[in-house]
Amino acid sequence: MNLRINFASGVPIYQQLMEQIKHAVETGAIRGGEQLPTIRKIAEELTMNPNTVARAYRELEHEGFIEVRHGSGAYVAERGTSTAKAAGIRKAGEVLRPAIERGLALGLSESELRRVFEDELARLQDEAAAERRRN
Amino acid sequence: MLWYKAWLETRWRFVFMVGMILFVWLTPEWITATGVHSGVPAARLWMAIQLGSVFLFIFTAIFLAGSGINTQGAYTFTPGFHGSMLFTLSLPVSRRRLLFVRGGLGALQTCILVVIMACYILHLRPEATSVLQTLAYLARTIVCTMAIYALSVLLACVLDEIWHVTGAFIFWIAVFLVQSKFDWVARISPLRGMSLNCYPITAPIPWAPIVASLVFAGVLLCASVLMVQRQEY
Amino acid sequence: MNDIIIAADGLSKSYDGKPALRSLHLEVPRGSICGFLGRNGAGKTTTLKLLLGLLRRDAGSIRLFGEPIDSEASSIGARRRLGFVSEDKELYPFMTVDQTIRFTRPFFPGWRRDLEEKYLDLFQLPRKKAVPKLSKGMRTQLMLLLAMARGAELLLMDEPTSGLDPAMTEDVLQILADLAASDGTTIFFSSHQLAEVEQICDRVCIIDQGQVVIDGVLDDLKSEYRRILLVFDGMAPRELAGLPGVDHLRQRGRTASLLAHGDVDGLVERARSLGPTSVEVRPVTLKELFLDHVRGE
Repeated sequence: MNLRINFASGVPIYQQLMEQIKHAVETGAIRGGEQLPTIRKIAEELTMNPNTVARAYRELEHEGFIEVRHGSGAYVAERGTSTAKAAGIRKAGEVLRPAIERGLALGLSESELRRVFEDELARLQDEAAAERRRN
Repeated sequence: MLWYKAWLETRWRFVFMVGMILFVWLTPEWITATGVHSGVPAARLWMAIQLGSVFLFIFTAIFLAGSGINTQGAYTFTPGFHGSMLFTLSLPVSRRRLLFVRGGLGALQTCILVVIMACYILHLRPEATSVLQTLAYLARTIVCTMAIYALSVLLACVLDEIWHVTGAFIFWIAVFLVQSKFDWVARISPLRGMSLNCYPITAPIPWAPIVASLVFAGVLLCASVLMVQRQEY
Repeated sequence: MNDIIIAADGLSKSYDGKPALRSLHLEVPRGSICGFLGRNGAGKTTTLKLLLGLLRRDAGSIRLFGEPIDSEASSIGARRRLGFVSEDKELYPFMTVDQTIRFTRPFFPGWRRDLEEKYLDLFQLPRKKAVPKLSKGMRTQLMLLLAMARGAELLLMDEPTSGLDPAMTEDVLQILADLAASDGTTIFFSSHQLAEVEQICDRVCIIDQGQVVIDGVLDDLKSEYRRILLVFDGMAPRELAGLPGVDHLRQRGRTASLLAHGDVDGLVERARSLGPTSVEVRPVTLKELFLDHVRGE
């Protein structure tokens, strides 16, 4: 990756870095699934603040552009799934919202509602696991 | 490691003092040995040595004093403060400790030189000196010199190097002038307390200047501590 | 684990009746590299000296590592955990590089011999050379070594790159970046060099006439501030000065230059309602931010 930051610019550095990384992916300099340099490496190479690099990575992760795997580093999300995942997350939010509103209307507290959600999720996962074992 | 630093800082000063003392002391030896001024009576030579010794005690005490805060030049008088003072003050060490170590080392060096000089003077005496007389003489020269040293330390805490030396000399010259006019000053003056002309070996121990010197030194030491703690750099 | 490494509140200091700091407020969080900018005489060195305990404050409070600094003992405790690099990088003229390191080591129980060796190697400092014979660059390196090898959690520096050539400046910035990345060291330094502050600092603090006028994350400041350039048919209207969000205004005849902060869109709307012939919104650089806040009207 050939990263260049204009430190004197009025554009925030972390945004410039994000743009540069996205550009690197678009041009194929780094592909989906490949590992990104560590925060420290980039800070060292560009002689810039590591907190700013970390912020760029956080924002990219928030946008679904990269994945941070605990212990092993940051990876570019698979091209197809990144947009698909972002869309999927949006859709799920739309689907769940009315359910959450109804739960609250029933008089449940936030923590109770959360527990209901987790219970249902766990039950679904158990059923799916049981299904897989049967097959 | 403050003692290490103080030693590195003052060692050339110390060597210079040793050199100066040797220079002064070698002169009467040489004079007597070569008999160049053989017409000079021994008594006058002895008086000259006395005055010279008192002057050397004073000079040693003034020259070897330091506050431990500002960095001193080896043998030059640096105006203002040296930039490394900021480094010293940014270390996790109290100002009192900085003062005590530097002041302590300077005092130790002064005492060593004073003892050597005092022993040499006794060696020049035609008569024999008893152990008690020797110890009494050493004790009073050390204590009286420490009074002079303590004032120099206090001045070093507040003044530039050149002013602290000048100021100290001016003070003791003033004392010298005053003591001939005012009897009570003469009775407690450390300048007289360290002199064999005023208090010969055979005379009883002069307690007045000894006690006065101790008190003076103690008070000035406390004042120095308060001074460095309050100073803004 | 405290989050705010340096906290000054209502800090005031006067010299001979002339105020150097007026009720200064400052917060530097852990792990940040904060650039302290200001004109000469604005109060940068006074602030650093107050943090180190070289000066006594007239009013206000100082906390380092979360602990209040209100006595020599507390100041000494803080100094065990921080390193300081002065502007002229002066060390003892009667010591060599080796002796200086050996002198400094015992003051810090957490001294890192491995870091000492690493930086001695990296800087190629001649161990037996007397300090006065070192170039300013090497003295800077030595002071940095002394500050870092002690395992300091906070690094305070007064104009760290003054007198250094561009290559050496870059080296120093590299070291700072590395320190922040590997140990989470907090770095607070005063500087005149906007370029290096922009490059290495994530936070910036601008002091003017004894008060902090800007204190925040540099990238956020760049997002929050905008320059709005307006051209009018006749004289630029006076109402511009009173509009909310105008941090600084410069009017010259038909043109007006606004430094806008906060609700920029709202401000642009209001400015448009005053009937300008041209409206331009531009991002703001640190230099503009600095000059607008310290040059006065």
